[in-house]
Amino acid sequence: MKAFTNQNARTLDEAVALAQQALRDGRSVSFVGGGTDLLQLMKDKVVNRPGSGDPDVLVNLKTVEGLDEVTSSGQVVTIGGLTTLEALVEHPVIRDRLTVLAEAAESVATPQIRHTGTLAGNVVQRPWCWYYRNGFPCYKAGGNRCFSIAGENQLHAIFGGGPSYIVHPSDLAPALVALDATFRVVGPEGERTLSGPDFFVLPSQDAEHENVLADDEVLASVALPAPGDGVRSAYHKIMDREAWTHALVSAAVVLDMDGDVCREARIVLGGVAPVPWRVPGAEALLAGQRVTPELAREVGAAAVAGARPLSKNAYKIPLTRGVVERTVLALATSA
Amino acid sequence: MSSPQTSQQVGPMDTVGHDVPRIDAYERVTGRATYTGDVRLPGMLYARVLRSPHPHARIRSIDTSRAEALPGVRAVVTHETHELIYSSGSIAGGRQYSDAAKDITRNVRYMFDNPVRFVGQPVAAVAAVNRHVAEEALQLIEIDYEELPFVIDPEEALEPGAPPIWPEGNLALDFRNEPRPSGGTSGDPEAGFAAADQVFEDRYTTAFVQDAQMEPRSALAQWEGDKVTIYTPTQGISNCRHDNARDLGLEDHQVQIICKYMGGGFGDKNGSYYFDLIAASLAKEADAPVLLELTRKDDWLGTHGRWHTVQDLKVGVAQDGTVTAIGLRAYSGMGPYLRRSGGISGIDAYACLNVERVIYPVHTNRMVSGNFRAPSDPQGYFAIQSMMDDIAYKVGMDPVDFALKNMRRPTEEVEFTNYFLEECIAQGRELFDWESRWRPEPGSDPGPIKRGAGMAFMMFRSGVGPSSAILRVNADERYTLFVGVTDIGPGAKTTMAMIAAEELGVPLSQVEVVWGDTDRCPYSVGESGSRTTTQTGYAVVQAALDLKGQIAEKGMPRGDDVLIASATPTPSTQGKRRMCFGAHFVEVEADVQLGHVRITKYVAVHESGRILNPLPARDQIRGAAIQGIGQALHEDLLYDPRNGHPLTAGYYGARHVTHMDVPEIEVTFIQTDDGFGPYGAKTVGEAGIILGPAAVANAIFNTIGVRMKDLPITRERILEALA
Repeated sequence: MKAFTNQNARTLDEAVALAQQALRDGRSVSFVGGGTDLLQLMKDKVVNRPGSGDPDVLVNLKTVEGLDEVTSSGQVVTIGGLTTLEALVEHPVIRDRLTVLAEAAESVATPQIRHTGTLAGNVVQRPWCWYYRNGFPCYKAGGNRCFSIAGENQLHAIFGGGPSYIVHPSDLAPALVALDATFRVVGPEGERTLSGPDFFVLPSQDAEHENVLADDEVLASVALPAPGDGVRSAYHKIMDREAWTHALVSAAVVLDMDGDVCREARIVLGGVAPVPWRVPGAEALLAGQRVTPELAREVGAAAVAGARPLSKNAYKIPLTRGVVERTVLALATSA
Repeated sequence: MSSPQTSQQVGPMDTVGHDVPRIDAYERVTGRATYTGDVRLPGMLYARVLRSPHPHARIRSIDTSRAEALPGVRAVVTHETHELIYSSGSIAGGRQYSDAAKDITRNVRYMFDNPVRFVGQPVAAVAAVNRHVAEEALQLIEIDYEELPFVIDPEEALEPGAPPIWPEGNLALDFRNEPRPSGGTSGDPEAGFAAADQVFEDRYTTAFVQDAQMEPRSALAQWEGDKVTIYTPTQGISNCRHDNARDLGLEDHQVQIICKYMGGGFGDKNGSYYFDLIAASLAKEADAPVLLELTRKDDWLGTHGRWHTVQDLKVGVAQDGTVTAIGLRAYSGMGPYLRRSGGISGIDAYACLNVERVIYPVHTNRMVSGNFRAPSDPQGYFAIQSMMDDIAYKVGMDPVDFALKNMRRPTEEVEFTNYFLEECIAQGRELFDWESRWRPEPGSDPGPIKRGAGMAFMMFRSGVGPSSAILRVNADERYTLFVGVTDIGPGAKTTMAMIAAEELGVPLSQVEVVWGDTDRCPYSVGESGSRTTTQTGYAVVQAALDLKGQIAEKGMPRGDDVLIASATPTPSTQGKRRMCFGAHFVEVEADVQLGHVRITKYVAVHESGRILNPLPARDQIRGAAIQGIGQALHEDLLYDPRNGHPLTAGYYGARHVTHMDVPEIEVTFIQTDDGFGPYGAKTVGEAGIILGPAAVANAIFNTIGVRMKDLPITRERILEALA
């Protein structure tokens, strides 16, 4: 691993200032929270920030107080970016009211990683495409190719691909988008709050990055509207083993139920697109309807409408269809 | 020696046959056991290896001057500075431990080779005052590569015009240095196929799987004068010493190998490794002890795993279900060096004698293949027993009945020391409750979630042969047993102590074991081939008999005196085949909508002679079955054929099973004593891995009604097959 400087920030403003200073000095910089993935990228010499190589400076966010707090005030639940995945799993409000987020957090990696890895780190982690992770000079590493197109694309995107066909690796991201989260970003110009569609970016907008964060910007927290009484939610993740890997396909489903009638649905897919992939066509079928097995099957079919598989990932279409159908039906009919 | 009991089951003795925890369990679980990577010597340097980023390339020039100039760097070695042949990695024909083979082999592998022939091949190494300096120095080595055409697929590698990896071509040279397939013909295959009422043909493939032991490899070398001590995780200190001595140009006594504890063997460590040579070379250059550590990725790509295969099978069957002929034409992907045979087993478990086998061990620019726990078996058994299972359905027979009809039995021509295959199958069938779990109509369960069952059976060599033991007793009646074993997982150290205690008639606590050090222990055959218990264990019995005789004659030693006995027996089965036997029965649940497979019952019945220590023996079968399940459902080392790069190195990428994937594996031993080995003990360690892929695949067929012919049977393959 390349030698680097660790700088402990006491406040978010100081963290941003430290990053700016490093960039002004011509040094590459990364913010570090849990570091579970960042350190491995550095050891493997995989380009973390395109164009800047391995970081010369790590700005440590763990020394910023209050970044790991979950606060529930009236209509909004705010979760600090440094909140560990395990804290999300165990938090009573998140478990009971924002179940999809707790289930998504619980599906990540291993207990060790969940105790160290953070919400922000999970959301902004770099792709797990095997070309990117093996050091290929692809778009995500600042290059100008996607090796998966004519290569091994079993794990790649069936929606929203081009010019890069990575899938977004985060389990929390689909859950957050399904819960209509907003993302609070702190940078040199102060802070801004973004919706999911504005925070995550498709490769067609920016092939190198998965979100709008600049090198000197931090994902400080997310805010979630407190769900109404009829709202229930679930996260269903399909993996190629029972634990410790990313989603082949996942579905974050939030249903606002009035008895057995669905008032409103939000369905966001993971593992199939370069961003958390919302399927409005499938959601619309549920609005105002009693959820029957037949309707759930139609919703599953609608969720894969428009999918464009590559040469080796067409299996994700029936898989996605099945996951959505089952998750919607199970959630709607759960007591 | 115990009297032969060839057909009846046996029970526990005084010490042998009881569950005994490892005598070093305390050291292991408290972190006090010293593994290679834990050893620290005064003035020790750390080493790192630079590896080829290309699948095939000639090194035009290599410039290490910037690395050498980096403060803290003490030595840099390359193919230009050290032209050492790395022997056991390049033996013609895959013959093990043969000095003669090394003399004649043409496809030589050097410690650092030029050209490089696979991604991950070592090209240079650095020793420095700490790891960070060593890693930084690697980045300063400048290499001008001329990239060469490469080939990844074994069949393509044999096509005319394929990029030649060696001047002689891509078919590996046999032990006569001739490019020839292995195999051969027995009986009269032509007549056998002519006599068949139906002939079936199919292609099965298996993927490359890494041994993936927990402990990343490392080697620590220290010179004192013209003698080198190497701490290294080896499965055989005696062979490791000899290999390293030969390659370093030393006598055996000038090399000391120490391996006390290691984090998993799983095959092909019964000898030296190139990193022993690199550590020794760096230590000599730097005039200081050098610890060379492999990263997980180095370990994954820079060592070996099970050869992947393509197997075209042809089987003739008579009207009554009797197999009349078997043909196999196969390709084994060996990587650019022939480390081991590339053989494919399994056909010998059938009685049919009309067999034609043609197996091409092929060079490719993938990483090197080698021996992994039952080297040629799981991939061979998967293909032949999937094929036979499929035929059973096609001729309208229950696969168990088909197995019982066609499996090998003793004949006048081929005698066994004893034979328990039929009992294994019968007991497995009953314990598993085959009749209720097997679906006569495959895939017939209603709904998307279905169940079904499959089975497979095997026999596996359990030879006898030479090894050594020394036993000493002092006036306090403390017994010290010197055996050259390393403890790779099965608990050899404990087993050896138990055998000594049993034969001496003393409590286990009176026996101390000295192990894992060539300067202190006699020759041992090494912990490969599942033969430590049978061979070194038998030497312990003989040494104990000798010592008992001395005590009877002279009485116990007094004062500072000791009595010492040693034994190097060379037992023989007089031409009889000594085999262990087994049958695995598996039930799976498959969700055909989501392509998910879950194992819901796994019954493993084994005959491995007398089980000396049932506690670790059961775990050996369980651990091996788990690896078999991983090979069946998960593991692969995927290469991008366009650029020759591996994409799925490591536990994450290769999808090894986690604890949450592992079912309860119910192990039953049929215990016997054929009069050979210590108290009739046979092979255990490798036997359990052989049947997982075949039994799981057969259960999947019974469950979903579609035959899966390619390993691993992943979710995506199931969904594609059902689409």
